[in-house]
Amino acid sequence: MNSLSPQQPKVARRAVISVRGVEKHFPIKEGTLQRVVGQVRAVDGVSFEVRPGETMGLVGESGCGKTTLGRCISGLVPPTGGKIYFRLSDQDAARLDEIDAIPEPDRSAEQRKEVERIDANHRVDVLSGKAWRTYRRNCQIVFQDSFSSLNPRQLVKDLVGRPLQVHKEASGQELIERVVSLLESVGLGRQHLYRYPHQFSGGQRQRISIARALALDPEFIVLDEPTSALDVSVQAQILNLLHELQKERGLTYLFISHDLGVVRLMSDRIAVMYLGKVAEYGTSMELFGDPHHPYTEALLAANPDMASEESVMKGLSGTVPSPANPPEGCRFHTRCPVATPACGWEVDDAVAWLQVHETLLAGLTAVQRRSNFDATLDFQDEDSASAVGRAIHDGDVPPAMKAALEMVSTEGRSVHVRFIPVEPVWLEDIGDGHLTACLLHTRQGKQPWPPQPIADSSNRAAANPSSASTTNSKAR
Amino acid sequence: MTQSQVGIDTTQGQATRPLVASVRDLKIYFEAKAGVVHAVDGVSFEIRDGETLGLVGETGCGKSVTARSFIRLVPSPPGIYAGGQIDFWSTESRRNRSEPIDLLQIPHEEMLAIRGDRIAMIFQDPGKALNPALSIRSQVAEVFYQHRSEEILEPFGEDVPRLIRRAARQQTRSFEKFLLNLPPWRAKAAKLRMRVDELVAQALTETQIPNPRTIMASYPHELSGGMKQRVLIAQALACNPDLLIADEPTTALDVTIQARILELIAELQERLETSVLYISHDLSLVKEICDRVVVMYAGRIIETGTTEEVFSAPKHPYTRGLMAAVPSAHHRRGELAAIEGTVPELVDPSPACRFNTRCPFAVDICRTVDPEVVAVGGEHTVACFAYNTSDGSVDLPTLERWVS
Repeated sequence: MNSLSPQQPKVARRAVISVRGVEKHFPIKEGTLQRVVGQVRAVDGVSFEVRPGETMGLVGESGCGKTTLGRCISGLVPPTGGKIYFRLSDQDAARLDEIDAIPEPDRSAEQRKEVERIDANHRVDVLSGKAWRTYRRNCQIVFQDSFSSLNPRQLVKDLVGRPLQVHKEASGQELIERVVSLLESVGLGRQHLYRYPHQFSGGQRQRISIARALALDPEFIVLDEPTSALDVSVQAQILNLLHELQKERGLTYLFISHDLGVVRLMSDRIAVMYLGKVAEYGTSMELFGDPHHPYTEALLAANPDMASEESVMKGLSGTVPSPANPPEGCRFHTRCPVATPACGWEVDDAVAWLQVHETLLAGLTAVQRRSNFDATLDFQDEDSASAVGRAIHDGDVPPAMKAALEMVSTEGRSVHVRFIPVEPVWLEDIGDGHLTACLLHTRQGKQPWPPQPIADSSNRAAANPSSASTTNSKAR
Repeated sequence: MTQSQVGIDTTQGQATRPLVASVRDLKIYFEAKAGVVHAVDGVSFEIRDGETLGLVGETGCGKSVTARSFIRLVPSPPGIYAGGQIDFWSTESRRNRSEPIDLLQIPHEEMLAIRGDRIAMIFQDPGKALNPALSIRSQVAEVFYQHRSEEILEPFGEDVPRLIRRAARQQTRSFEKFLLNLPPWRAKAAKLRMRVDELVAQALTETQIPNPRTIMASYPHELSGGMKQRVLIAQALACNPDLLIADEPTTALDVTIQARILELIAELQERLETSVLYISHDLSLVKEICDRVVVMYAGRIIETGTTEEVFSAPKHPYTRGLMAAVPSAHHRRGELAAIEGTVPELVDPSPACRFNTRCPFAVDICRTVDPEVVAVGGEHTVACFAYNTSDGSVDLPTLERWVS
């Protein structure tokens, strides 16, 4: 299925882009002084590699951070954590792996120097001078909305020729000729040079964006939902064009989309993102043929397929939780149909469940939160407190949540709820480079449940002092 | 509506179902600088009782304009209702076996009574369809004030004071509103409000909204997209309409939410025995949820039939092309069957098959004459010369296999 071999012989084996634990947190500011009161964790620790000549697919629902990650990779916004490397050789990658395994203070001066050397040459957000320009030439982006990404006051000749001018590649008549040949390579022509973007249809405008991205003959292009604003017949034209260009020029793509059908068609490997984290990662064959994460399964089930005979569209209950306060454990557990007690049940889940029965929370006056797993709910009177206590204890709570409950006690007007704390869920290789973050399939999930609580909870409390703040919000 | 055939059953027997609406030769034009745009140009189709009819087509093919003309929402000017009629049978008129009403001819007041009551619409972008400055409660309540004032007045019994009656219709003037705040009326006004709250909560519960009372007090920006669409559905189905027009109700939503919303619409449709006109550009979706399909291209209908007929054996080259262009598991990369070219301009079109510029099989006749709609077995009809029989005088196109 992959027409281009992932490694090309001309260079040493390397990845075009290596994303290593990238985080992008946006501050939430409040008040006159714009005090930072929280962080929206748009991208929260994502790692993958894109090899030369391949297409990496990034798929997920709106708000999962796929576009933000694309922008980080293309250097439009700096990541707040983690590192993105450009053209990192496998040798250097192995060195980095080695050094990263050593905690920061224990590293020798030599090791530090080595990291600095690699960073200076390859790390996208610290590149400067010539290396930075090389990177900018070689990494281009095509945006989703061609209406807002093409300047309405510029002619096509200026739009497509701009990168050539900026990098002093061509000028005068040569520039025009270069632009014409670019336009021809995307199926437009000389007759389109002196027109404005509004004179084109959506498909043609997207072709102009692609021509502009190709102007400097880049190695790598981030395609951020390039066809989601287009009709299917035009989408097919653009997808075919992208594939042709990739074959001709040996391009490497990062293909971001919410459309599973399109991603499946275009990508060699796919990362499924949910709430800022990668839920599953693997070749498109493995991922679609044998998904190992309930979220991937849910996406597949919800996607209507022309080819299938049976109509089996199935949705997911609930909504995507806020990335400003992502769920503990596995971030998908709040909507997961097969969640287990170990998936990270917390106070917010209990509150969300109580909210469905609206009379129960009517008398709530305050929530004292010691951690996400441990909180006291204060009520106006003893009756409502005991009603809530009973509801959590005996009501039709999801069995997995009930099993994760460590303690519910009602004392006067307050209810104390404590869940068994869990570790965050990490991605694990389940064979052949197929990674999943679902406890049902990983070794992490095979650890004994419940975990040995004493050492664990004290660790968490020390590591997480900020979460013990007192709020009186009913939910996140 | 107690006939046994009501509900979503097999395609057999559908032809005998009574009609809800019948569109005949509908023409809607728009005045533009360049000339008159023939956005909808002679469209005819029927909607039967209890069915889900899919109206499919790409951007600019006139599907939304067609749907909006049902409740006369096409702004005029620049829109021109240039011809045709839309006959509509409400449940009552069908029961009394009376004549249908022509939605394009009835006076404005009558239209107001039908809009939102007998014919309701769900719009594409729930974010734009709700007023950001009003609470969910007041937006849903408006439907009841408009169409169900009798229901609101139920708890007041037989003898309702005139002021309360006016309040239940939202016809109070400012001094009357002031009166309603004074002691003799205050209790009654509160009772009225509680009754409306009750109806709104009930409508929201229908669409499986958790905590309807909390949601009622909130504003659109506080809700997620899926929740907003549920509110719109509650609003649309509050009066138990005969016809629900769903204009791409899930385009703005994520797939997992989309599936839930579609489940909800299907469930409510079955329970309320409503007919649905479902507009979408997404073929795979239409295949899943519709009983019959109408395919539009550039203001014309080019193919109709049951979902089964159209999807298992598409006849028109455009329909075939469209289906081949949807990426699916068996496609190889770079071999997606794209339809070359773009949708033609609809300014003062000359007679010709509208698809001839993009059709790989077009011959001379396609470029000069409008193709007639021909039946090709069952309920399947198509407007393409390839299905006409020739008397030998003109060349007709033959459809070979669509692009390999």
